[in-house]
Amino acid sequence: MKKKRKTAGVFFAPFALCFVLFWLVPFVYGCYLSVCNMSLTRGNQGFIGLGNYIQIFTAGSVYSEAFFRGLKNILIFVVTSVPLLVIIALVLALIVESLPEKVKGIYRTIYFMSYAVSVTAVSAVFLWLFNGNGGYINNVLLSAGLINEPVSWLEAQPFAWIVLVVATVWWTVGYNMMLFINALNSIDSALFEAVAVDGGGFFSRLRYIILPGIRNVMAYVILMTIIASFNMYGQATLITRGGPLNSTKSLIMEINDVIFTNNNLGEGSAMAIIMGIVVMLFAMCQNWLSKEKKEIKEVSGS
Amino acid sequence: MKGKKRLKRLILVIAATIIAYIFLVPLLFMVFTSFKGLSESISSSELLPHVWTLENYVSILEDTTTSPIMRWLINTIIVTVTGTVLVVAVDCLAAYSLARLDLPLKGKIIIFLIWVMTIPGIVTTFPSFYLFRELKLVNSFIPLIVPYTANATGVYLIYNFLIDFPVSLEEAARIDGAGEFRIFWKIVCPCIKPVMLTLAFITFLAIYNDFLWPSLVVSRNEMKTLTTGIASLVLGANFVNPGLMMAATLIAVLPALVLFMFLNKYLVRSETNVGIK
Repeated sequence: MKKKRKTAGVFFAPFALCFVLFWLVPFVYGCYLSVCNMSLTRGNQGFIGLGNYIQIFTAGSVYSEAFFRGLKNILIFVVTSVPLLVIIALVLALIVESLPEKVKGIYRTIYFMSYAVSVTAVSAVFLWLFNGNGGYINNVLLSAGLINEPVSWLEAQPFAWIVLVVATVWWTVGYNMMLFINALNSIDSALFEAVAVDGGGFFSRLRYIILPGIRNVMAYVILMTIIASFNMYGQATLITRGGPLNSTKSLIMEINDVIFTNNNLGEGSAMAIIMGIVVMLFAMCQNWLSKEKKEIKEVSGS
Repeated sequence: MKGKKRLKRLILVIAATIIAYIFLVPLLFMVFTSFKGLSESISSSELLPHVWTLENYVSILEDTTTSPIMRWLINTIIVTVTGTVLVVAVDCLAAYSLARLDLPLKGKIIIFLIWVMTIPGIVTTFPSFYLFRELKLVNSFIPLIVPYTANATGVYLIYNFLIDFPVSLEEAARIDGAGEFRIFWKIVCPCIKPVMLTLAFITFLAIYNDFLWPSLVVSRNEMKTLTTGIASLVLGANFVNPGLMMAATLIAVLPALVLFMFLNKYLVRSETNVGIK
């Protein structure tokens, strides 16, 4: 028995070591930094208690402005991108699953392929698709006579957001689709036959079999998509560079600027922790909502 | 009735094809633009080039100071392969220990890992960067590889797969007197291969696509990976020439796309959903 415990420990040790070194230590250190007056060049200037946090919530301070501007921007992105990333993924999964067996694989691969492209490649491509000066979309619209002069997609709202959302959907929707396809495959096919016998059409199948059948995966996909959208950084940095007038500057970009441009690591750490709490609150709400719905369904079903 | 069903199927295939074309346009744009000369690439309203040219590829492969693509490719291979192997090995061992062996406090460890999974990575990103900088390890492979091993999600994924997997085979081997590591390597690993492959694929893409972290810890051009290297091109002077940019981008995405083509069929089973139930 004792020997067995030792083996268990040996098996677990590499992960424990990596986890402590590369997660726990930075996590605790980040909490410590957030209560210090700390900069990348001058080092630690001492403990200042909740000073960094107070700055964030003091109306009119530079850091408060930066934080809430970033938060507002990222919330716009989360609210617009998450529903699209979930609904389009589900629609694609349903289409792929109802295609003839022979061609299923081809379409699935095409829809999923863009997920293997790196964020910088996505950005480079969308930058030149939508560039105001010499971009492909403008060239096509100009030559078709639909517009008379080039549109500056990346320098005007709401176009800048639309480009970022379109790029993100194109890039990551395939992964969500794969999760949905796997979930659809695990639904018992006898259930579908039962509805077919009852003469139910597509929408009754969707409502009574598909959606309840993939409920857990749906909750997981929504949660993961919300977290990923909150963390959006590369697309906005490279495609719109946060513009026009900082309106697409995401929260992580703001934190990055506070740490490097304002040279304030302590303040940046405090912002990162508040951002972490905001994301966790969203995750908990979503989790709670999906549980709630499940209970309502169970009650009304019985 | 049968005719109606066939018509429905035909409409579906047509719709699926149109969507597929929309999905392919950005990739086709990337491929074809990389073969266009400068003047054509900024004025063309067609995907296909009128005049095919290799000048973009030639100038990228020649200009090794601003775009050492081959160096970036080698760096990327070193970082992604070592990182993926480490993550899969460390996570599988830990998950096996949690699911099958007599690890003290294992219930509490699992709850703790689930909590950790909900904490966004941004909370540890900047302190990690500062610590690596203080240790004078920036601009080396170490920070590009090792931080990915603190992967609670991977452990949880494998753990969930293992607890659904029958114990009988291992028990037989145990009675035969095989050591724990031998059982793990010879019996458990082959059985959990699909989920290991899924974890490997997800980890590979996560490391390959990561942008914020590598751009913090690496600033020297020859230490960059493809993702950060291409970013410096996007943000740099080459910005004015789309053909050049697309050629660089295509070289950068090709390894991942090829690997994707080989692996994607393995991912279409219920394995990717393990851990969501």
